Amino acid sequence: MRLLLVEDDLAIRGFLRRALGEAGYQVDTATDAKTGELKALEGSHDALIIDLGLPDMDGLDLIARCRAQGSSTPVLILSARRSVDERVRGLEQGGDDYLTKPFALAELLARIRNLLRRSSAPQNDSVRLQAADLQLDLVRHEARRGDQLLQLTPQEFSLLEYLCRNAGRVVTRTMILDHVWRMRIDTATNVVDVHIYRLRNKVDLNASEPLIHTIRGVGYVLKDA
Amino acid sequence: MRRVIRTTAAWRLSIWTTLAFALGTGLAFSIVYFLVAQGIQERSDAWLRGEAKVLAQVSADTPRDHLYHRVVSEVVELATREVPDERNAQGESLNAVFFLEEDPNNSDGPLWVGPTEEGAFLTAIQRAKPVAGIPQPIKVDGWPTTFQVVALYENGRTIYLGLSNRGAEHLLGNLIRRFLVVWAGTVLMGFLISYLSARRTLLRVERITETVARIGTEDLCERLPAQAKSDEISRLSETFNQMLDRIQSTVNQLRCVTDAVAHDLKSPVTSIRGTLESALCNEPTEMWRESIGEAIEGLDRLLHVLNTTLDVAEAQAGALHMDRSTVDLSDVVRKLVDLYHPAMAERRHEVSVDLESHAIVDADVHLLNRVVSNLLENELTHLPAGHRIAIRLRSYNGSTELVIEDNGPGFPPDVSNRAFERFVKGKHSPGHGLGLAFVGAVIHAHGGVVHISDRPAGGAVITVSLPASVLQPA
Repeated sequence: MRLLLVEDDLAIRGFLRRALGEAGYQVDTATDAKTGELKALEGSHDALIIDLGLPDMDGLDLIARCRAQGSSTPVLILSARRSVDERVRGLEQGGDDYLTKPFALAELLARIRNLLRRSSAPQNDSVRLQAADLQLDLVRHEARRGDQLLQLTPQEFSLLEYLCRNAGRVVTRTMILDHVWRMRIDTATNVVDVHIYRLRNKVDLNASEPLIHTIRGVGYVLKDA
Repeated sequence: MRRVIRTTAAWRLSIWTTLAFALGTGLAFSIVYFLVAQGIQERSDAWLRGEAKVLAQVSADTPRDHLYHRVVSEVVELATREVPDERNAQGESLNAVFFLEEDPNNSDGPLWVGPTEEGAFLTAIQRAKPVAGIPQPIKVDGWPTTFQVVALYENGRTIYLGLSNRGAEHLLGNLIRRFLVVWAGTVLMGFLISYLSARRTLLRVERITETVARIGTEDLCERLPAQAKSDEISRLSETFNQMLDRIQSTVNQLRCVTDAVAHDLKSPVTSIRGTLESALCNEPTEMWRESIGEAIEGLDRLLHVLNTTLDVAEAQAGALHMDRSTVDLSDVVRKLVDLYHPAMAERRHEVSVDLESHAIVDADVHLLNRVVSNLLENELTHLPAGHRIAIRLRSYNGSTELVIEDNGPGFPPDVSNRAFERFVKGKHSPGHGLGLAFVGAVIHAHGGVVHISDRPAGGAVITVSLPASVLQPA
């Protein structure tokens, strides 16, 4: 998978190139909109990551120009502007997703994955999810660990489902709030942690190997030890 | 906006104007009345004096024979006819004249010409003992009005001539009655005219107030319409428009500054955070993972403060972008209470929830989510473990009220007056004092109010009121 990163900030470009490289992507970079446009129109990238605050042109105009010239490569917008109308405009101009700086790397990776999946194939909506010896039946809303049925509330089930869909990958608290509770709120307390703690008590209590792990400072991951 | 008329400025203004008008006209009439009364008095006094002199002359010139009585009586009768004949509604003459001559040499006794027998008049005259030549009022028993009486002493005889004041009093009484009727009418008319014209003028002020209030809560780009007349009120709206221009440019500047700060701070923080995060994934030793995690959490707290500060600044300046739609506040609260309930249970709080459904408000749902979550975070951070929290939602009288009440220690006294300012917090409380400032600013931007108080029985109450939506949810 090949990504094009259009970002003028040296530090951000540096760490993103490294981190995305470690995540298994090939990364091309451009420092301004002109070169970004040229590279994007080559059509050899699977997704574009475009910063809005570019020195020579607004990122939104760059996206509009790419779209006008027939490029349909999915675009993830990065922006330090926080306002909601900026987000709306970004998505109207042809952006596919929008991430506000500062962001968690885990969230950026999740969004890129999402973007690539969306563009490559229709999403595989299976009725069953499996991770290690955990099985989720999405139709009957049943979760089993090994052969034991877990007694989960609907909320706990959605949380486990979200962790399971992202098995092996770190999800942040913001991502959990956004996807499970459908809310963009900023919390400084342990609300999410308590939900995870309760879920973990049901999922991992009688099992030999814990499945839900805390990554301090980042979030949670569901995986084999 | 309906108001009680008695509290309006137009009402007060016209009351005062009318009062001044009534006093002024009343005073003017009093002067006229006084002058008229004086004129009448002078006229009747002059007649009395002149006539008394004539009668004294007649009495002196007429020989004292058996015709004397008749001659003097006829002269008096003639003189009486000179008095303008005033009659009341029943046709009785209002003027009564009497003449009395006391002559010690006359054996027939005093000479009397008058409307009735002389008895009562004699007693009244003897009681008053009028000074010679100066008319003075004398009260006669059995007569409703006084008599103006003049006395003349001549050659041992005394002549008294009296004229009833009844005609003058009747005239002045009529004058007062007519004035009162006209006066009441004029004052009432004056009141109506001044009230209507004050109201017309003040309605223009009222319209300006309404528009400015709307601009304050909704759209800073709106301006007051230009006024057709060029007067004080049109200058008022011009001044308002100039002020709005200034506010708008300040808000725009603030937007630029916050965007610049946001950009300049966020880019380095993003790269630091990202570097730490990718280091975390590659770092195998537990000790380093712990330290890096701690560093990231520290950065996140910093970012939280930064973001909320910018939000509060924007919201307080009215620069918050709002995407309003009809929202059922009970759904918002229910979802967030579900989210926060386990964390509250963890702190052994007992939470009771009583939500009226269909509490529809016109609001930005994302901002409302953040407002309610801030309120619940506030309880979670500040309430010591093991207390009761009651969350109620009610809508009445066109407003929707969310009350969050606890039985904890309440607000510290140094905070309760300023809880909605930025960075105000209790000395010993955790947090950075931005949560309630954000709540206050956002609710204000939605045209609502937030009120905090202490329960009498101890504990804090936060009340958020939002105007209920006039629209029904789609």
